[in-house]
Amino acid sequence: MTAAFHPLANTPVLITDRLRLRAPEPSDLAPWMAFLVSPRGTWHGGGPEHGEGRAWRIIATMIGHWSIHGYGTFIAEDRATNRPLAAVGAFFPANWPERELGWSVWSDANEGQGYAAEAATEILRHCAADLGWPPLISYIDPENARSVALAERLGAVREHGAPTPHPDDMAFRHRVPA
Amino acid sequence: MTTMIPVLETDRLRLRAPRASDLSAYTAFRTSDRARHVGGPFTVAQAEQQLHAIAGQWLILGYGRWIVADRQTDAPLGIVGLFFPVHWPEPELAWSLFADAEGRGIAFEAAQAARTHAYGTLGMTTLISCVSPENARSLALVRRMGATPEGRFDHPDHGTLHIWRHPGPTT
Repeated sequence: MTAAFHPLANTPVLITDRLRLRAPEPSDLAPWMAFLVSPRGTWHGGGPEHGEGRAWRIIATMIGHWSIHGYGTFIAEDRATNRPLAAVGAFFPANWPERELGWSVWSDANEGQGYAAEAATEILRHCAADLGWPPLISYIDPENARSVALAERLGAVREHGAPTPHPDDMAFRHRVPA
Repeated sequence: MTTMIPVLETDRLRLRAPRASDLSAYTAFRTSDRARHVGGPFTVAQAEQQLHAIAGQWLILGYGRWIVADRQTDAPLGIVGLFFPVHWPEPELAWSLFADAEGRGIAFEAAQAARTHAYGTLGMTTLISCVSPENARSLALVRRMGATPEGRFDHPDHGTLHIWRHPGPTT
């Protein structure tokens, strides 16, 4: 056997006031699946009608994105409890016009506390300062009011006419972090 | 992080982690008529996600499927390894060859290396392969591997698959 490949070995750990942003771990599987098969997962390719098979494939795909591309979606865990709360990061599926910053908060209980904003702010900083990327974009279904509100709270600006993955998506261009 | 994707080498082949440079070969296979026995053909977007998922399964399960590469050129020839998604009966030894790799015993050589790894390094005690009854080449290979038929199961995406039981580690 020659050199083995550590798919997530180069994933950085980012720290904010309340959160630790890190690579996915096997222990994330159960809460991540529970989120994706819940109604909250509907905006993220899952939802109750699709079941665990779809959820498992989504998770495997998101983890493998790190392995194939070298960047991907961080798991945001509460620094006080070490519990995972959300998934936030940049990803670039096939047929996407460009890299997207995406976010999901996994339970109603953790909604409305600014966790996604806190994680997204740090990841925008990381992508600009550490990776040297131009400003990211987010594609949001107009009916996903909470995500629209978060994009606006982050200072992103609606980019009319930008190509989008789905015809009805709204495109929001993030600003260069201060 | 302890999960890693090992590299296995055989006379002609290297089994290694999928990487971005494999996307075009994998996508060409998954969008072709050759994918009809494995739930396809798929779109390019689906195929790219599937290669990501193959890489990601290693973290979830601690094992998975490798790209089978030519040991000399590193060119990707197929996908072989262990597969165990939700709703699957048990861990499967699975293989797919890209079009220009057929007919040279490559899948056999790679599948033997993967089975040896599963029984040795991973300590597995049994393996199955799930083969479409219309997939004549895979049926020939599963017989060559010494596996015996053991019923069938119906999968929402893959249709009816026949289950073949591999000989265990000691046989």
